Amino acid sequence: MSQKISLKEAERKVFTSTVQDGLWDILIGCFLLEFTIAPLLSHRLGDFWSVAIFLPFWGLVYFAILLVRKFIVKPRLGEVTFGKMRRKRLAQFSIIMVVVNLIAFILGVIVFLNFTKIPRIAPSILFAFIILVIFCLMAFILNFNRSYLYGLLAGFSPLVGEWLFYKYGASHHGLPITFGITAVIIILTGVIVFVRFLKNNPMINIVVNQNDQPAA
Amino acid sequence: MTSQPHEPELHPLADIDTIIHAPARLMVLAYLYVVDSVDYVFLLRQTGLTWGSLSTHLTKLEEAGYITIEKGYRGKKPHSTVRLTENGRAAFRDYKKSMQQVLDDLPD
Repeated sequence: MSQKISLKEAERKVFTSTVQDGLWDILIGCFLLEFTIAPLLSHRLGDFWSVAIFLPFWGLVYFAILLVRKFIVKPRLGEVTFGKMRRKRLAQFSIIMVVVNLIAFILGVIVFLNFTKIPRIAPSILFAFIILVIFCLMAFILNFNRSYLYGLLAGFSPLVGEWLFYKYGASHHGLPITFGITAVIIILTGVIVFVRFLKNNPMINIVVNQNDQPAA
Repeated sequence: MTSQPHEPELHPLADIDTIIHAPARLMVLAYLYVVDSVDYVFLLRQTGLTWGSLSTHLTKLEEAGYITIEKGYRGKKPHSTVRLTENGRAAFRDYKKSMQQVLDDLPD
């Protein structure tokens, strides 16, 4: 039994070591920036373009992260191809995310069509719940524990935003403030984790003798 | 002077694969058992071994037919990939089984 646990832990350690570089955090934070800036742009650009304008931004961030991973992270961490168990888990995660997003979309349409008939806080509660579910699933399936905390921060953002709106008349239902703070916290966490990763994982100089040809 | 026969309950100990039993090699094989393939840098990071020590253990495991090392290049830089063979996987499973049997049979 102890062997079983240690192998499971070894597999978990292998996977988590590949997501502990802070880049995921930065990507998630940049994703949440949309909820911060889009409401502010919606008056000028309209609802569609204020969201669509973020697609090239995400593309750029994602491309930059791929480059950082290739040229900075991989030479320090090394490369691994996951085993069957982890690949199965990642595939499960993708399927679950598609299903959750589909359900979220359907619920969103239902709320939109019945906007005048439901309590005004209902869309925010639904939004918070969906965000919390997505982040918790990510934390559980991918062993990415920080995501639980991010889920709480992002999940509470629309609710606190509504409160700011009713209590202090915050513009755009308080979303730019609450999601802005959440996004900045997550991005800063990512940057700190990344700097710590660089500090703890310097480049390895492997000295190989002539008979034992290649290095890493 | 003849050697004493093993106690029946300790028989599995005599069958323990000594290639795998060394702590460093056991650690390397445990990591390789749960992944498809890794490179040298990843193994160094995960095991905490020095390059010299890792290299020696990998050579022993390769000679035993438990792992394969694909030596190649990534651009102009040399890049090697380590993978557990089917023999290695079976040997590791047998080792696990034997150790479990030995430890389970020991009194508290």
